[in-house]
Amino acid sequence: MENKRLLSWFATLSLAIFAVLGFTLPSGARSLAIQIMVFSIFAMGYDISLGFTNQCSLGHSIFFGVGAYGAILSIAKMKTGAIGAVGSGLGAGFVVALILGLICVRLSEAYFVIVTAIISAVFHLLAMDMTWLTGGDDGITVIPPALFGKFTQLSLSNPLVNYYFVLLFLTVTYLILVRMLRAPLGKVFAAIRGNDTRALFLGYNVFRYKLIAFIISGVCGALSGALYALTLRYASADFFSFYWSIVPIVWCLIGGLGTLVGCFIGVALMSIFQYYVSAWFTHYLLLFGVLILVILRVSIKGVLGYVLKRGSG
Amino acid sequence: MGELISTVLFLFVNGMIWGLIIALISLGLSLIFGVMGIVNMAHGDIYMVGAVISISLFPFLGNFWLALLVVPLIVGFFAAPVERFILRPYEGHPSVTMIATTGISFIIQQIVLATYGGIPKKMLNPWPVSFNLFGVEYEGYRLLIAVISIGILIGLWLILYKTSYGILVRASIQDRNMASAMGIDVNRVLMMTFVLGCILAAIAGVLAAPITQVFYLMGNDVVLLAFIVVIVGGLGSLEGTLFAALSLSCVEGVLSAVMSPTQSRATILVIMIVILMIRPRGLFAEK
Repeated sequence: MENKRLLSWFATLSLAIFAVLGFTLPSGARSLAIQIMVFSIFAMGYDISLGFTNQCSLGHSIFFGVGAYGAILSIAKMKTGAIGAVGSGLGAGFVVALILGLICVRLSEAYFVIVTAIISAVFHLLAMDMTWLTGGDDGITVIPPALFGKFTQLSLSNPLVNYYFVLLFLTVTYLILVRMLRAPLGKVFAAIRGNDTRALFLGYNVFRYKLIAFIISGVCGALSGALYALTLRYASADFFSFYWSIVPIVWCLIGGLGTLVGCFIGVALMSIFQYYVSAWFTHYLLLFGVLILVILRVSIKGVLGYVLKRGSG
Repeated sequence: MGELISTVLFLFVNGMIWGLIIALISLGLSLIFGVMGIVNMAHGDIYMVGAVISISLFPFLGNFWLALLVVPLIVGFFAAPVERFILRPYEGHPSVTMIATTGISFIIQQIVLATYGGIPKKMLNPWPVSFNLFGVEYEGYRLLIAVISIGILIGLWLILYKTSYGILVRASIQDRNMASAMGIDVNRVLMMTFVLGCILAAIAGVLAAPITQVFYLMGNDVVLLAFIVVIVGGLGSLEGTLFAALSLSCVEGVLSAVMSPTQSRATILVIMIVILMIRPRGLFAEK
């Protein structure tokens, strides 16, 4: 109980900090902060699948890419506003997550990780191949549209609007996820995390709940991809690359699995780390690999998990 | 019509030869999973390292056949400490090993990129002879790959089914705790299995070096097919892996007559998904 209150305090605090940072930060740091918020959505979603129902998916780059392309293509082909673009990214993410979930979720652990990884690799190949739709490696660039309709004063080309647009989605996602986890649904997730065979014997349809978690997590990934693409104003086949499947794991592991908001710490640390290190070290991925090994060895509970353990004695 | 048949036969043989290389890689993958519960994401990179080292050592060795002997030993020498000091705590937890080996994969790729460079190279053809096969000129070296791989597969079969080490490995696949209780030094079996798997991948890399582009990402493409093969054949099932490697590569080879490589890869993926729908643990898995 103590932990839960601590976590929601932490979340409120971080969201408040983000809100204040919006108009105080210089533009360079502001775009870094936007990135952190966008990735936090991704990471929270990922935590639902890995931290709450023990589904270690290596296919989340698919949702990220599908969300990004859903948003960008709807602007490029259908001239929707930013909100419509996010909506179509979410819709595309939901459909793909449902289909993939139906294929993968019932598989056992080893098959699940490998099959999700295979499918995401093939999606990456297809995205590079189908240049008529995706633009391949060069990607598709769009001019940031108004939020909706002809309401041109509020366009995402204004960085401040962009910032609070993303913050709004982060806050809403957090509130929805927290509400879900406090509802009976969250209790069933906890039961599955504890022991899914026992949950099955208690009469829960484990497959269905795992599928729900997988879809929620995929939709969060798609939302994050859509916001990321809108912020960068483009999407490319690289959004499907394996890197985007493995970073959410790292964010969640650094921040703390199963805490939902711990990943804020993970995302912030990783983004700042990448921002500064990749500037002076070309083989950034080398350090990334070492970091993965170190995190796995040091603590699987992450920073926040460590703090909570100390706090509760 | 005759031309079409000879083209298809040509692609079929080509697919078969890649299938044998894939079989070497995926048998290692399957063996490592079956015995140790490790899903080795870095397996494609070990294949890549095999190819890269054989090209880098070529000026010193001066001989491809020597490289085929030396390089796998070098790779095996480095694989043992990786298993002992990095992977051992996570054995039996597929997800965790997959994350850890992804980290290792990034490290290997970046080290190769930093030392060897990012430009694709190709090994000289060590046996520049060509045969007339179904009315098409066919490189002799590719046929030699087939002969060598089949030889290695037979050797592997002999090791696993005719030596005492093979009995230990198969016992550990069947029931690791029981094997340990019977007094088998399971840790040593695990390390030797990991080394054996990596050696197989390195041999595949050396064999493939003259017929493919050697660069730091060459493993990604191959490991994808190897993983599909392992899933279709059934994780940990060696005969299933062999069967799936040969049949899927042939299918992919023939498909590439009518569609782009990516499309044929996507078709293979669809085949895999259909098989998983019917048999969630692959074709040959027991339970």
